[in-house]
Amino acid sequence: MADAKTPLLEIRDLSLRYATARGKVQALDKVSLALPRGRAMGLVGESGSGKSSLVLALLGLLGKGAELSSALAQFDGQDLRKTAAALRGRRIGMVFQDPSAVLNPTLTIGYQVAEPLIHHRGLAERAALARAVALLNEVGIARAEAVARSYPHQLSGGMKQRAVIATALACEPELLLLDEPTTALDVTVEAQILDLLDGLRRTRNVAMLLVSHNLGIVDRLCDDLTVLYAGRVVEQGRASEILQTPRHPYTRGLLAALPRADQGRLARLTPIPGGLPDLTRPDPGCNFRARCAFAEEACTAPQALDDKAGCQVRCHRADAVAAAPLPQPEPMAAARKEATGAPLLIAMEMSKSFRLGSAFSLTFSGGLPRLRRATEVVAVDDVSLHVARGEVLGLVGESGCGKSTLGRLVLRLLEANAGRLSLDGQVVPAVPGVEFRRRAQIVFQNPDSSLNPRQRVREALRWPLIRFGLADGAEADREVDRLLELVRLPASYGSRYPHQMSGGEKQRIGIARALASRPDFLVCDEAVSALDVSVQAAVLNLLSDLRERLGLAYLFISHDIGVIAHVATRIAVMYRGAIVEQGSAAQVLAPPYHPYTEALLSAVPLVGAKTRVRVRLMGDASTAPSSTGCRFAPRCPHRIGAICDSLPPPVRTSAQGHRIACHLPVETLAALPPALGRAA
Amino acid sequence: MTAYILRRMLSVVAVVWAMTVLVFCIVHLLPGSVAHMILGEFATDDAIRLLEARLGLNDPLATQYWRWFSGLLRGDFGLSLTMERPAGPIILEALGRSAILAGISIVLVATIGIALGIHSAVNKGSPSDHALTLAQYFFIAVPEFFWCILAILLFAAWLGWLPATGYTPLAEGGLLGWGRHLVLPVATLVLGLIAHVSRMVRSSMLEALDSQYVLAARAKGLAERIVLYRHALPNALLPAITVLAVDVGLLIGGIVVVETVFAYPGLGRMLVYAIDNQDLPLMMGGMIVVTCVYALANLAADILYAVLNPRIRYGGAAT
Repeated sequence: MADAKTPLLEIRDLSLRYATARGKVQALDKVSLALPRGRAMGLVGESGSGKSSLVLALLGLLGKGAELSSALAQFDGQDLRKTAAALRGRRIGMVFQDPSAVLNPTLTIGYQVAEPLIHHRGLAERAALARAVALLNEVGIARAEAVARSYPHQLSGGMKQRAVIATALACEPELLLLDEPTTALDVTVEAQILDLLDGLRRTRNVAMLLVSHNLGIVDRLCDDLTVLYAGRVVEQGRASEILQTPRHPYTRGLLAALPRADQGRLARLTPIPGGLPDLTRPDPGCNFRARCAFAEEACTAPQALDDKAGCQVRCHRADAVAAAPLPQPEPMAAARKEATGAPLLIAMEMSKSFRLGSAFSLTFSGGLPRLRRATEVVAVDDVSLHVARGEVLGLVGESGCGKSTLGRLVLRLLEANAGRLSLDGQVVPAVPGVEFRRRAQIVFQNPDSSLNPRQRVREALRWPLIRFGLADGAEADREVDRLLELVRLPASYGSRYPHQMSGGEKQRIGIARALASRPDFLVCDEAVSALDVSVQAAVLNLLSDLRERLGLAYLFISHDIGVIAHVATRIAVMYRGAIVEQGSAAQVLAPPYHPYTEALLSAVPLVGAKTRVRVRLMGDASTAPSSTGCRFAPRCPHRIGAICDSLPPPVRTSAQGHRIACHLPVETLAALPPALGRAA
Repeated sequence: MTAYILRRMLSVVAVVWAMTVLVFCIVHLLPGSVAHMILGEFATDDAIRLLEARLGLNDPLATQYWRWFSGLLRGDFGLSLTMERPAGPIILEALGRSAILAGISIVLVATIGIALGIHSAVNKGSPSDHALTLAQYFFIAVPEFFWCILAILLFAAWLGWLPATGYTPLAEGGLLGWGRHLVLPVATLVLGLIAHVSRMVRSSMLEALDSQYVLAARAKGLAERIVLYRHALPNALLPAITVLAVDVGLLIGGIVVVETVFAYPGLGRMLVYAIDNQDLPLMMGGMIVVTCVYALANLAADILYAVLNPRIRYGGAAT
């Protein structure tokens, strides 16, 4: 074992190239980092920056066709290039992003956790399984014996990720590699996993290399931070310092583009223009140059990582432009159309349930065949909401809470079981007419699957014009140009196919398509969730510009509270099919609030808010409540008692229209600490 | 699990019953009198009336169906019209011989097909994978009867190594004599099916090898052998089982051809004989037996699928 001074993990000038159809891609370019024992380093960057490739390179698990070179790659004094196969699973543990895909569906959880012990420690299967149960206990799984005997599909996402972490810990590794360990999880579950990882660092003194796109998570867990851009390290140093005072223009841009729940709608986001450079022809100069606001002639020269008080920056102008603010993009010049107050869309008592499986199923109880009615899942339960002209109603909740279903119900894309809907005072029947379809449109989450890959942009945008009889022939072409200009794309994009555009550009086309029929009301269903932060900022800005210019009303559905806090004028919080709180953005984001809102806000990983109060929920949203009481009661940290299980909570409405469905008196709720870590 | 198997069994019973109705209807609702069909176009009216009375063809259809169906339930397939003896034993004997052919074939298809599929997937892009891929498409494309004729010409007529046609019972010819008659029919039967199954296993194995859980198994530091056989293979075999069950259907079709060409006295040849000679009881009985075999093969596949797939073995979320 090497002495305590040498880092546990050290790599120097690690480069990776791999062959693709377009030529050799330089995925990593002379990346160096050092990680001492027991410390945690964050590795951030947008998709395509090479952060996951780096992790696989460390494990020696890059596929065929990868060319790896490095000046040094050491783990505890051993050459990682030769010993990676012997180290992984033993002294280096790995946690991947999506636990549902990572666990083998045909093996029990216990066996999968025990496997490293059987193969690396030579334990007998029985002894290894007993140890697996202890590990499952350690990562916070109650009833570990039962869980060990079950299969992955029987567990929730959070439980699965705990099991994956237990597997990584089995052989007591000194280093944990975490690749987006919470990205596939809900925010309250993510908070639980982050707490677990933080605890493991202290109890086991294990070093961590955390790959993430989320700066808040890095701030929560990491001591050090490495920022990757297009395969190169652009900034490296102490995490708290970099996040407080970023020096590289790219890091500054990332932070400026981040919608922050704790800053509300005050600031306009600053997107980073453009996209990743072509990695098949790596730029010898600064490869961020094309997107950088401060670029100058000298940036074409190779940039060195300059070291300044332990913080390294790959930019020769970092100090020169430190005081200069990032340029703000011009908002669209237009007459501001403010919210008029009169509701445009009103949905009353909407309900929708889904059947699981076929209508009737044959079951056998006590050997006798029985025809059983299929169980129904109530996705949306008696929800009422309204959206005014020029208003953005943010709908936030965890996966499976029914928010997307609600979004489709108010567009009549799904048939409701009950409820009334009106637009502009006109009742919308169950099968709406063409006029409603024209006036109410939707922007989907994933532009890759919502745009027809065989249709050019121009055709895709012409369709709604023809369908709704708005324009035809040359007039339609002019209209398409107008739409492209509206979403700030050059007219030449009309002849492109979806695969010829970046994610952000495709989403702009998705928005243009929705705007083609000149609607009054848009449902944005996770419209920015698939986008990188720098691109997301541009699309969010676009959406708010369009609201101001066209007076659009949005129902903005998202699981990301930061995004919701940024765009929404009013917010509705949804839990298990019902809206538990509704009010203006300022009302919902500060006490008094519903205990679930409190937990949700408290769980959001924020940059620079380490000291705030943490409210943690038990379990996840699949924890079933009693049929009569409050649906949040089983997880509620402020549960009063039996009343929560037996009676539905009263809706407490303030004079300003702030509605909270809770048994607790408003005074108690008002006394809750601010969950975003700032004064209310 | 028990409920699942019971449910599957119930649907097998339903399928077989529906098939009895279908087979009966096809035979009896065809235009023209059944007796006329049997006796040929020069039959006298008297002869037809006599036969109709003997076969009960003047009774209502439902009565006729019930007479046949209740007979089936008792194991009575009726009297073969051309051989003048009970159809049941004839069918049973033929079934036994075909079962030997089919059993050996399916075992070979499963083992060789799966082994080749794994080999191709693990060595994807290698010369042997390319050669196998080429061979697979070739054998899937060329029909059995072509191989039958080629095999007879080559091994029986030209080289004289193996008998071209016929069958020797085990008791008479011993293992060698019995086996010699099986080699060519089995070989021609399995060629296409092995190609089909190995193609399928290759693609599902590739999918498994590309999965996150295989990457995770490698990240755990497990030996490649364990990654392959413990993590990838069980998942890759699930679709292969379904394909094998479907292939039983193809196999039955192939058996009809192969038995006819090699004059192998099995169920397929019997069916062709029954159709040629308008022997209705033999034909209907044979079809029902084929239905049963196919349905039971699918039942076996469903059960095996459940055994290998915990998502079916243990229904929904339990914990």
